[in-house]
Amino acid sequence: MIRMLGVSKVYSKGCIALSDVSVEIQKGDFVFVVGPSGAGKSTFIKMLFREVIPSSGQLFVNGHDVGEMAMAEVPYLRRRLGIVFQDYRLLPNKTVYDNIAFAMEVIEASRRESQKRVNHVLDLVGLRNKAYTYPTQLSGGEQQRVAIARAIVNKPQMVIADEPTGNLDPDTSWEIMKIFETINKGGTTIVMATHDKPVVDAMKKRVIAIEKGCIVRDQAKGAYGYES
Amino acid sequence: MKARTVEYFIKEAVSSLRHNGLMSFASISTVALSLLILGLFLIMVLNLNQIASSIESKVEITVYLQDDLSDYEQRQIGTQITKISGVTEVIYVGKEEALKRFRERLGEQQSLLNALGDTNPLPNSFEVKVDMPEKVKLVASALSKMKGVENAKFGQEVIEKLFSLTRMIRLFGLVLIIFLALAALFIISNTIRITVFARRKEIGIMKYVGATNWFIRWPFLIEGMILGFGGALISVILIVKIYGLLIQQVTESLTFLPLIPQYPFLTRISMFLLVTGTAIGALGSTISLRRFMKV
Repeated sequence: MIRMLGVSKVYSKGCIALSDVSVEIQKGDFVFVVGPSGAGKSTFIKMLFREVIPSSGQLFVNGHDVGEMAMAEVPYLRRRLGIVFQDYRLLPNKTVYDNIAFAMEVIEASRRESQKRVNHVLDLVGLRNKAYTYPTQLSGGEQQRVAIARAIVNKPQMVIADEPTGNLDPDTSWEIMKIFETINKGGTTIVMATHDKPVVDAMKKRVIAIEKGCIVRDQAKGAYGYES
Repeated sequence: MKARTVEYFIKEAVSSLRHNGLMSFASISTVALSLLILGLFLIMVLNLNQIASSIESKVEITVYLQDDLSDYEQRQIGTQITKISGVTEVIYVGKEEALKRFRERLGEQQSLLNALGDTNPLPNSFEVKVDMPEKVKLVASALSKMKGVENAKFGQEVIEKLFSLTRMIRLFGLVLIIFLALAALFIISNTIRITVFARRKEIGIMKYVGATNWFIRWPFLIEGMILGFGGALISVILIVKIYGLLIQQVTESLTFLPLIPQYPFLTRISMFLLVTGTAIGALGSTISLRRFMKV
């Protein structure tokens, strides 16, 4: 699914965000990426959907070399990925239903297909009854559920989440994690950057810890390992 | 591209136009004004060309004969003129006939001629027509060198003045049109930039869910094209009305002016303006889109 071979990222001012990172993530894995702020987590995550391009080394996502990829191919890479952000990134002027359907519209799915998929993911995140409300009328947790629904509506092979529970209280975070777990059980790979110690400790999934641009720990069924 | 996608593009474009009502209005007005002026200049230049060439094609050369020629000599000159290449018609106008015409032309002031008494100061002459306007000058100079010919004249100055006027209007019009087209381009590209900026969040999300650049571009492109087309449509309506009025006025008072008939002339001008307007719109949005698409 993901293979990094000696990947480094140096930003224009000479800041080294990642240095010679090699890692492999299999299809169906559930991986937490942890580490202090500014350690390179975000860079790691953003590389996976080519918001950031490696300065050196090779990164394969779904068998495609992301660094060598032409601009025109990037949309097709992203169609096989679902991306969830800390700040939800929903469109305030569209209903919940339309926010999710938007992702289907963009890839030119048929209306029937779109309808079927949107209703399915709304059921999955438990928001069928709020389909025609607007994001501003929802709580933070509900908004994040909409964002997750949007991320998975195209049946991606992998969901990439950058601090998805960063703005949520512990109870709500748990609800969100349950949804991710359900998605993962369906065979979808999940890579999640997080600061949420209780969640990571309780879920007992693979943990990759990044510090100063290097992977310092990579354990199956790991724990958060930092004081929160 | 699917029909549903096209529908989506148009819906997005129209909703964005409504959202930016004031800017859209400003863009459409600028395009309308620019194209109105472009259209009017076009009509003016084409009509002046038409008038100039119609005058030119009617040009006759008048060949004045020396006064002391015999009838035989005069007839001989007549036959010689017919033999010059390009000459299609030669009409003899005797002194008496010339005086009669002159009298008619003077109209109410013909009493002036009474002062002349019985003398007729006008020479015998030939009116010569040629087959192509370009030959007028050449034939005239050949005629004036003939023996027994006093001189040969044609309305050269009038035509040349008309042509130089057309040239000046054309040049002035071109400068003005380029300037106005740039203004229209600028304001449309600004309108689109505002739209793009207002929707940058949406564009970002579209990119994350895998929209291609063209998918993102189309609604903006359509928006620009609607602005350009809308402006052009207004200018076309105005031009059709204005030209209709002009034709009406001219046929009532200046019948001799050979203006270009309304149709199909106006249809062509309208098509040209609509295409130009739409192209300006498309170009305007392309300029704005180029900058942000590199994400």
